This record gives sequence, structure tokens and C-alpha cells, in this order.
Amino acid sequence: MIENILGGFASILAVGPILGIVAGIVIGIIFGAIPGVSAIMAIAIILPMTFYVDPVIGICMLLAVYKAGIYGGSISAVLINTPGAAASFLTAKDGHALTRAGKAGKALDMSLYASISGEALATLVLIFVAAPISMISLQAGPIEKVFLLLFAFTVIGSMAGESIPRGLLSCCLGMLFAMVGMSTITGASRFTFGVPELMAGFTFTPMLLGILVMPEVLNAIRQRRVPHDKLAITRSPVPADNRISWKEYRQSFATILKSSGIGTVIGALPGLGSSTAAFMAYGEAKRTTKKPEEYGKGSIEGIAAAESANNAVCGSSLIPMLTLSIPGDDVAALLMGAFLIHGLTPGPMIFLENTETIYAIFAGFLITDLFLLGIAKSGFKAFVKIASLRRYYIFPCVTVFAFTGAFTAGQNMNDILILISFMVFGYMMRLVGLNPAIFIVGFILTPLLEQNLDQAMAIVGSDYYLLFAKPFSWIFIALSFFFVYSSVKMRRKAKRKIIEEQSPAVEAAC
Amino acid sequence: MDRRKLDIVMSSVLILVAIIILKNDSLVVGGVESELGAMFLPRVVAGLMIIFSAAIAIGSIRRLFMNAEKDECERLDVDGFSGILLYIGIFVAYWLVVPYVGFLVATPFVMLAIAVLLGGRNWLPIITMSIVAPLVIYYGSLNFLRVFLPAWNLS
Repeated sequence: MIENILGGFASILAVGPILGIVAGIVIGIIFGAIPGVSAIMAIAIILPMTFYVDPVIGICMLLAVYKAGIYGGSISAVLINTPGAAASFLTAKDGHALTRAGKAGKALDMSLYASISGEALATLVLIFVAAPISMISLQAGPIEKVFLLLFAFTVIGSMAGESIPRGLLSCCLGMLFAMVGMSTITGASRFTFGVPELMAGFTFTPMLLGILVMPEVLNAIRQRRVPHDKLAITRSPVPADNRISWKEYRQSFATILKSSGIGTVIGALPGLGSSTAAFMAYGEAKRTTKKPEEYGKGSIEGIAAAESANNAVCGSSLIPMLTLSIPGDDVAALLMGAFLIHGLTPGPMIFLENTETIYAIFAGFLITDLFLLGIAKSGFKAFVKIASLRRYYIFPCVTVFAFTGAFTAGQNMNDILILISFMVFGYMMRLVGLNPAIFIVGFILTPLLEQNLDQAMAIVGSDYYLLFAKPFSWIFIALSFFFVYSSVKMRRKAKRKIIEEQSPAVEAAC
Repeated sequence: MDRRKLDIVMSSVLILVAIIILKNDSLVVGGVESELGAMFLPRVVAGLMIIFSAAIAIGSIRRLFMNAEKDECERLDVDGFSGILLYIGIFVAYWLVVPYVGFLVATPFVMLAIAVLLGGRNWLPIITMSIVAPLVIYYGSLNFLRVFLPAWNLS
């Protein structure tokens, strides 16, 4: 393995991949820092541009956008109390309190150092854990894979949605759309209604842009009358307030380490995502600290906990994708699409078939942290200035990039129609509380499910009981029930908590 | 706007679609025989869709009849929807026009229209952006990505 890792570093330390990583970091920080624009939007827009470069450069660039975008989200959270993503909500609480106190530099520094520490730790776990897990998962045959995929659908659908039926319905819709076109198993054309253009199914990139990116543009248009908040760094006359000292970092290091661990574990479980990781790590840090009263009012440790956990998810969310072909969240689903487009099939075989490429990507993932540190520190003022651009400069460009990206996929105007249709569909999904990210996961995994299901049925013939003869089947069935049960429990607990928090306020008002 | 009513409409539509998938054999054409058949998985998914849609609809109907207080996510703010319709209109027009007038001609107008829709009134930078961005994208796509964006086609 060490040889492979060294080989990966040798491949990545070339002009092309390094330029890709630098470009990805700059784009990611800018997009992440713009309020209303998320990392996933940046990845989806950049994705078509990577089609024509080497997979190592393309994938490393996308991963750099991902990491930098997640970090970029904390800039708007700290400076204007507008978290780019739900995961930055806690960073906004403590970070903005520090900004109001004239200590924005301190908050931003801690956010950067914690993000990078969390990411680096999770990336190391990814590198050293992914290959051994993939060797175990290679033992799985079609029957085990069917149950594994059903488990993935259940977990992602039940954990990530607004409610369990809505999450699972989103997944079903994604599955249904994946079945449009010619079946790879039987050659039959399904749901094409005589339209030959539908025989190949829906083109992935326009659909992705339509369902994940464009609804955010529609949201920005809907809120076009909300006043624009300009990003600005408040500076304290005391130099110590504008940066994090080594002593302060060392004091928070235990929190960073623990939170990164929480983020890594949560990220490796499908469906939980960075928000859960940030909230759990923040809660744990608050529970064990000597100064819990400072949390939410400008705690450096609070920022460290939320950001390191939030960013640790970046690396570990790739573990289920690369070892089991299961994207753990929306970004992983998007990256899985990118891997497929670049001719790399995520799954245990990737470590045998594309050893050099995958370790080069791992090395790139690790190097990204160093570049992120350097670029974010040196170009901070410039990023804040660019991210302060008004939305009437940003969203026309996003629209044209989305148009070009959708067209690039097949150089076909029909793909633009797919983009428009899924833009409307994606927005309607959000309106009714369905989750587009789960839809994408369902869309990506269904061909795998269908293929494995067909092979499994060929193996068992008419002896259907053989499907349940292996312990793996029962383990995954049990795990599915366990996750649904714990999701129900978690939601009830959260609801009760909200009611309890509201009732004293109501009583006080009375 | 009440999302519960929207839930009922959505669930009804999805249940109807699922029933069509379950009942209609003409949705699949051709193909070879396989162990499960080409419509096995779509029908399983359709069955699940009925269950989940019904669960959402029943919950919403119950809350509607009980006149229960709306959750945060059940309140739909429809302010600014006219902007969305305008944006979709601009995008559809863009899609229709580009094959004839080309990317370089249509895009500046679209960018300008969207910028105005978003409240932009700084004409000089907006017009500059609307002209420069399509030029950069067009030549970048052509020379670096070998993507041939639609060109003028009226002659």
C-alpha cells in the first residue's frame, strides 16, 4: 500500500494536477463563500469542464472544489451570519458572535485550521481504510450486493429526508427515472413512449444540474428583493484578536481531534451527512468543555468542533462510495457520477483495476489540504471581495455555465430541455419536501441494483429461499430496520425537544 | 400557501402514475425474456410509491381535518414566484432561440435579462459582463474542451 501511495504522490506532483487542484480550491472557496451558492453547485457546474482532461486532473479538481467549498461556506457564516450550508449553522453562531466583537480574523483562522485538520485526518482514514474494506467487499456476490443496495436505499431515504416517507419517495422517484430507456439486462425499452431520444435514458449531467443547481438559482430569484449583505472583515486594533495563536490552537486540538473522529465516523455512514456530524461534535464538545456557557456566544472551541467535524465528512463520505459503490450523500452521489463519466467505476474493483489513478486521487486529496491552507490564507481578502459580488452578477453567469455544462455532455440541444424540465421538477420537489439529493442517489444506484438482482435471480432460480440463506442478507435486513427505527426515534426526540423549547416561551408570553 | 393541500395533490398524481405503471403493459416494448422481466423492478417501485405517497397524503389530510398548527416546513411562502416564472420563460426562450441565432448572440441578452430580473441596474458592468462572459465561454469551450456551442444559423 505504501508503494501505491508513493506512486500516487509521484503522479500528482505534476503541472496538470497541481493546476487543477489550485483552480478547484479558488473556485470552491469563492462559490462556497457566496451566500446562496453551495459547494455542490460549484461541483456540478465545474463537472462538465473536467470531461476533457485526464481523470486524475478532473477528479482532483472536483475534490478540491468540494473541500474548498465546504470551507468557503464558513466565511459567509462567520462574516454575515449566513451559513452557506446547514452544516455551517453552528459556525455562524459562534463565528458571527466573534465578528461582532471585532474578532473576525480569529474566527476565520480557527475555522480554516479546524477545517484542514478535520479534512486531513479523514483523508488519512480514507486512504488507509478504503482499500482493506474493498478487499472484504470483493467477497460479496450479487445476492449480498442486492441486500447491501436495499440497505443503502433504506438508510439514505430514511435518514436524509424531511420525513421517512418523503425520503423514501424521493428515492423511488430517482429509481423510476433511472429505468427510463433501454434496459441493459433485457434490451427492452421502458417508459420511452415512442420517443427515440429517450432510448438512452436521461443524460446525467443536465439532469444533475437541473435538479441540484438550478433550484438554487430559482430560490435566489424568488428572494431577489431581500437586501444584499456585503461580506466585510472586521479588524481589531489588538493584533492578537485578528489571528489564532499556536497556544489557542493547541488548546482546541483535543476538540478538533475528537470532532474529526466523530465527523469521520458519521461521514462513513450513508445518509447522515455533514450537518449531523457538526451538530453531534458540537454537542459533545459542549458537554465535555469547562466553559459550556461560551458556546453559541463566540467560542473558539465551538467553531473548531463544528468545522472539523463538518469537513471530516468530505473524506470519509468517499469510503462507502469507493468500497461499496454507495454514495453516502448528495456530493458523494455527484462525485460518483463524475467517476463514472471519467471511466472509473467506484466499488471494490477500482483498487485493482485503477490502482495508480485511485492512489493519485488520494494523494491529490491530501495535497489539497496544504494548498487550501496556503491559498485561503494568502488570498483571503480577494476571496471575500469576489464573494461580495451582487447576485445580479453571479446568477446570470451561473445560468450560462449551467446551459454550457448541459450542452457539453452530448453537444445536443435536447439536453437543454432535460435541464429545464429537471429544473422545474427539482424546484417542485423542494416545495413538497422531497429531497433531490436522495433522488440522485436512487437514480445512480438503480442500474446496479437491477443488474445484481437479475444475477441473483439467475443464481437462485426458483429456490427463492436461497436469497435469505446467507448471513449477510439477514445482517443488512436487520441493519435496515435498525436505521429506520433509530431514524423514527431520532425524529420524535427532535420534535419533543422543539415542543419543550417552545412551551416555556408560550407560557412566558401568556 | 398550505403545503398540506399540495401534498394531497402530489400524492394523488404519484399514486395515479404508479397505478398506470402497475396496470399498463404497453410501457415496455421489445427485449428478451429474463428471470424477472423488464417491468419487475418498475412495478416494485410503483408499489412502494403508492405506499409512501399514501402515507404522506394520509398525514396531510389528518392534519388538515384536525386543523393542526402548521410546522415550519409546512408554510409555503409564495412571494417572488412571478420572478421564477419569468426566469423559466427566459430559459425556454433561450433554448428555442439559440439553435437559430447562436450562443454568442443569444447569451448576452439572456444574461442582461436575468441581471435585470435580479434587480441589477448598474448598466455598464452588467453589459460588459453580458458580452465578455459569453465570448470567454464560447472560445474556451471551442479551443480547450472541443465543444462546439451553437453558432449563427439564420443564413
